[in-house]
Amino acid sequence: MKVLCNRERLREGLAVVNSVVPAKSPKPVLSNVCMVATDDALELVGTDLEVAVRYRVEDVKVEDPGTTVIPARVTLDFVRDLSGETVEFAAAGGNCTITSGGDACELVTVDADEFPVVSRFGEDGSLSLQGGTFTKLVERTAFAAAREQGRYAMHGVLIEIDDDKLKMVATDGRRLAVASAPIDLSGAPAPEHATIVPTKGMQLFCRVITDPLDQVRLAFEENQLGLRTRNAEVFARLLDGEFPRYSAVIPKEVGNALEADGDHLQRKIRLVANVTGDEARAVRLSVKKGKLELFGQSAGRGEATAHMDVEYKGRSADIAFNPDYVVDGLKNAERELVRLEFNDKSSPGKFTLGEDYVYVVMPITMDV
Amino acid sequence: MDAEAPRILHVDMDAFYASVEERDDPSLAGKPLVVGGPAEGRGVVSSASYAAREFGVHNAMPTAQAARLCPGLVVVAPDFERYTAASREIMQVFRSYTPLVEPLSLDEAFLDVTGCERLFGDAVEIGRAIKRDILKRTGLVASVGVAPSKFVAKLASDLDKPDGFRVIQADEVREVLDPLPVRKIFGVGERTAKRLERLGVHTVRDLADRDRDEVLREFGATGAWIHDLAHGIDPRRVNPRREERSISMERTFPEDVRDREELRRRLLEFAEELAYRLRDAGLRGRTVTLKARFWNFKTITRTHTLDFPTSLGPRLYATARELLGRVPATEPLRLIGLQVSGLQDVHTPLQNELFGVDAGARQAGDARDERLRKAAPALDELRRKYGRDTVRPASLLGHGASVGRDGAAEAPRPELGEASGA
Repeated sequence: MKVLCNRERLREGLAVVNSVVPAKSPKPVLSNVCMVATDDALELVGTDLEVAVRYRVEDVKVEDPGTTVIPARVTLDFVRDLSGETVEFAAAGGNCTITSGGDACELVTVDADEFPVVSRFGEDGSLSLQGGTFTKLVERTAFAAAREQGRYAMHGVLIEIDDDKLKMVATDGRRLAVASAPIDLSGAPAPEHATIVPTKGMQLFCRVITDPLDQVRLAFEENQLGLRTRNAEVFARLLDGEFPRYSAVIPKEVGNALEADGDHLQRKIRLVANVTGDEARAVRLSVKKGKLELFGQSAGRGEATAHMDVEYKGRSADIAFNPDYVVDGLKNAERELVRLEFNDKSSPGKFTLGEDYVYVVMPITMDV
Repeated sequence: MDAEAPRILHVDMDAFYASVEERDDPSLAGKPLVVGGPAEGRGVVSSASYAAREFGVHNAMPTAQAARLCPGLVVVAPDFERYTAASREIMQVFRSYTPLVEPLSLDEAFLDVTGCERLFGDAVEIGRAIKRDILKRTGLVASVGVAPSKFVAKLASDLDKPDGFRVIQADEVREVLDPLPVRKIFGVGERTAKRLERLGVHTVRDLADRDRDEVLREFGATGAWIHDLAHGIDPRRVNPRREERSISMERTFPEDVRDREELRRRLLEFAEELAYRLRDAGLRGRTVTLKARFWNFKTITRTHTLDFPTSLGPRLYATARELLGRVPATEPLRLIGLQVSGLQDVHTPLQNELFGVDAGARQAGDARDERLRKAAPALDELRRKYGRDTVRPASLLGHGASVGRDGAAEAPRPELGEASGA
């Protein structure tokens, strides 16, 4: 194998691959990048068996097609620190030489047959959407996915196709984010299986979408989701397990509804949250006729109050939330005016943060 | 104000349970007396009067052995309700002098009287006043130690026991500590003492004279701690808000028990009592641990963590019952115990969950819990007013054993776990 590449393009590709390559793995071969040179292209492949990426490097000149497998981290580090504009890869007889100007390194290669097979993106039945639509939905939901141990099926984002809309849902059992956006299905069949994509996979998808205006393609398969951009194909293995029946917990009829400026509300919540403890963080919102009072308290530190004007329909009521949860949602609000609806202080609060964006947060019960 | 002046008090009641019994039954006065389980069966001495101690009887000794040592020994079953009442009065006396009171058990506490001098005089005067007030209010005798640190204050209260009052000034600390056997140091138990003795360390002075690094190498973090204490260095403050980590009750049976019905009754009794104590302290707990000791002393524990912390007896009992189901039924048990940990203040904000493990079942459970939660304060009020046994689960009626005076071996003794070592 012998290839000439543009150093910057190559570095970009190696960086994407390295975001997949595991730092430590029981399978040492996974710490490598597989470089596949065909007549007119160079592809970089990396996987940790949960997610996989094929990245096509642009501006290359293949002199001798072939495949070589070399340590991903070292290759990226070396290429990054080179100063020449072009880099040459030449692999032969168990070694791969990287040369740029007068600088060179020689790496021991790994038998290409040991590298796991990574699928190719199947165009059939895939659907097309704007890259920016995909990343927007991920940003609005993925933060709510579970991180702590257990709750296996909640460690990812549920993707559904519903009513000509692409919908993403994430929850950690205490808050739930649901966002959707219209897409052109053009007859593509909806996935037959629940599609829960691990958070790491979602991050990688977003990473390879470099231009929000570019079209990308999504392929729902039985046990993986594939996404293709101009340069990259990414595959994420799906989480099996049952995603909670989320629609049941989104309040349908509510007695109390307030509307407020999202940024303003976020600032006030942060303000009073400063005095709340690290472990049991809670901020109480009390509303009556056009006034919202926010109250934060911690046994050791003291208490804080703040006030702001809101539009409010309902009786005087209060409800307490973990301020971090509320702020997480407000940060992603799509419009200035946000809406909070709830029935009482022990049932879920429903934040409407955009046209197709709902965020449900379970309250915190204080003083029982 | 003299920076070196001692300001820490350690107050320890003399033979507390036994003294309460003597006070309440004058016919017992001066007689060799122990509070504990009966000699037949497997009773253990919880508290021995000084008259009994003269015969070599001491706490934690099997009652049978105590009876052999001391002919005519009077054995009284414990009545924690009265001890608790006396304890409350004693703690009130402490708090009338300083807010910095750290109770160690029902009959023992550290006090820091820094800043109280203008109101009540110096630490020595306050110590005397407390000793006097306790005697006046409860008719019970306390031993008091006054010193610059917790460790030395605790030693001081023990030095002239019973009816002791000992002040150790900062410049006397060395002199008092030096000749004491090394096991008087808090944290030096039987095993550490033996290891120290092998190294030629017998007295506190021997330990203090050792190179610090050497002790550290030999005993790790414990080494640093005991070496400091040997030098009279004890930076621990009196912590009035020390949180309890767990509460537990256990019982050794007079005879090994195989009958599950009987074991469940014990657990119900423990669950009700622990729940009462949790509510009384304004706490709730999340982790339930069952301890079972088989006839051959093999001991196992089984633990379950609830979705929600609770202070309701039936909820604790339901969990305890499940845990008992995980204990092999083939062998009889010598001891059974129940512990609740993961304690938190009832005012701790509680994050609600969107999806129950089994929403339907939980809702049913919650509705029941809700009713119990509402009933509990009224029932507790009755218990406080008319005695702990006023309200009991029907299934425990007619089964004698109650938490109070029941004559069972090694009566269930509530133990407070500690968040920081004393």
